[in-house]
Amino acid sequence: MNDAYAVELRDVVKQFGDVIAVNHVSLQIKDGEFFSLLGPSGCGKTTTLRMIAGFEMPTSGAIFIHGEQQGYRPPNKRPVNTVFQNYALFPHMTVAENIAFGMEMRQVPKDEIQRRVDEALAMVRLAGMGNRKPKQLSGGQQQRIALARALVNRPEVLLLDEPLGALDLKLRKAMQIELKALQEEVGITFIYVTHDQEEALTMSDRIAVMNNGVVHQVGDPESIYEHPADRFVADFIGETNFIPVRVVSLSPEIVVALDTGQQVVAGWAEEGLSVGDKAVLSIRPEKMDLLEPKEMPKSPSQQMAYVKGKVTHLVYVGADTRHTVVLGDGSEIVVRLQNSYIGEEPWEIGEETIVTWNAAHARILKE
Amino acid sequence: MTERLRRHPELQAWLILAIPVIFLLIFFMAPLVIVFVYSFLERGKYGGVEWVFTLDNIRRVFDPLYFKTFVRSFYIAIVTTLVTLILGYPLAYFIAKSPPSRRNALVFALMIPFWTNFLIRTYAWLTLLRTHTGLINVTLMNWGIIDKPLPLYGNDFAIILGLVYGWLPVMVLPIYAALERLDESLLEAARDLYASSAKAFRRVTWPLSLPGVVAGSMLVFIPSLGAFVTPAILGGGKSLMIGNIISNQFLGAHDWPFGSALSMVMMIAMLIATLIYFRWTKKSEDVT
Repeated sequence: MNDAYAVELRDVVKQFGDVIAVNHVSLQIKDGEFFSLLGPSGCGKTTTLRMIAGFEMPTSGAIFIHGEQQGYRPPNKRPVNTVFQNYALFPHMTVAENIAFGMEMRQVPKDEIQRRVDEALAMVRLAGMGNRKPKQLSGGQQQRIALARALVNRPEVLLLDEPLGALDLKLRKAMQIELKALQEEVGITFIYVTHDQEEALTMSDRIAVMNNGVVHQVGDPESIYEHPADRFVADFIGETNFIPVRVVSLSPEIVVALDTGQQVVAGWAEEGLSVGDKAVLSIRPEKMDLLEPKEMPKSPSQQMAYVKGKVTHLVYVGADTRHTVVLGDGSEIVVRLQNSYIGEEPWEIGEETIVTWNAAHARILKE
Repeated sequence: MTERLRRHPELQAWLILAIPVIFLLIFFMAPLVIVFVYSFLERGKYGGVEWVFTLDNIRRVFDPLYFKTFVRSFYIAIVTTLVTLILGYPLAYFIAKSPPSRRNALVFALMIPFWTNFLIRTYAWLTLLRTHTGLINVTLMNWGIIDKPLPLYGNDFAIILGLVYGWLPVMVLPIYAALERLDESLLEAARDLYASSAKAFRRVTWPLSLPGVVAGSMLVFIPSLGAFVTPAILGGGKSLMIGNIISNQFLGAHDWPFGSALSMVMMIAMLIATLIYFRWTKKSEDVT
């Protein structure tokens, strides 16, 4: 048994009637880590969080907090605190009473409560607001009170259920940075539920991508983005092109054939694929470049792929331009090129082009 | 005219309001004024009033003979309110926690007794409670569980039972409305912050349902204090409430001014009781 994990889930299943909300999930969350559960709504991320908090009990499997199995322990007996999606501030209590609630329940001496409430208010930069009622505060302020109310109890793990979901974009960005800084300052393990991939990438040390109750991939933001483990992750995180291919060879090199018959090399293939299988070649739009047909090298490198196509659509998005290119087999791909050089001749719709990419960036995934 | 209305929307509002305002002024305020004026006049020979000013009626209200009934009526109304609250709160809680699809059916079931006339229902209770021929005593004696009839009828117990039965739904509905609105995540937050389920109830559920408790208590207390059908039937002519005395002044004794004086004093007493109650609940709301 490894006590180094702040939270460990072992083969946890949660069933609601016939619906399997969480399907054999195992996770190891390290002490002091900012860990995100990321996925679309209904993927089981909130249920997973609620099981750690003790609001739901697993149908099977076990949950450990610092090596201690939680079993059927009720929420008030667990060393975790939660920041709720709608904040769940007690409307009939003042801000100070809200923050004091947890300490009061644990019978912390009155003068210590007073001191810690003041500290917590200062920590979330709302000193002097203690006598207000939650309704008198803005959404962002309520959010910070909810955070203070949880953190003031010095939990071993803080659980956050889409805490920024109700805020407008600008405030959300500011709170993301604030939240991350706060987490580093207090050094408490954060488990953060979100459906916003950018939010997860910005803040997390590690991310678990979930869908339909299953964890698809666990990794740091870079590996999740650069090395998606399967089609769902590649599709859900960022923008990706999926080009239909057939596996030609898996070793020594991974080679696939496009529908036109052209063969290209790829850097990685998902486990379980075998020669002859239909698959998709996944590649990010910013990992590709466009060449004029005359720029095609005489002796192309083995590590580069070159595919003919025609520019059909251009969307200028400021920092870069999205070029839609139709390949010979009719499949469409998007290439993002940075608008870094003034005076460079832009691509025009209808122009013949060659799409090129480094094989290392191409990943072969199951359909 | 329409042009002017369009330019002054507030005029439209006044026009719409005029009808209910006039209605209330005539049919709501006027009887109150009449009752107020009558309480200071002398009785006429065959009902009605003589237009002579007097304070005798008011003085008579505080005659121990009547004042004792006053105090008893308050006692009965308070006990009725407490019992309906004790029975009604868990019922409201149960309905509010039922799955949404079942809630409406339960509220509907709660309202079914209202379809039958209150008088008939009270007579139905009579057949259950009567001392020698009532269903309960007869059954219990036949089974040999008791050998003397229980005192179920013609006393305060019977009146309170009848009132509790009659007003229970009125207590349940506002409490249910308050509990149904209660955000479940507030309770989870309390539990998350180390509160036991009992503590979470006391610190979160109860204070947030208090407006419903206050409304329900008022709705039960006020009609219970003025009740006259229930004590007339279940009190067996021995146990009376102030409502019976008032109705008797108008229907039996033809002493309208004294009946008016009793009503006036009751109304003022009720107002004071209500204010005290509001003040008290407000305070306990601030504390928690």
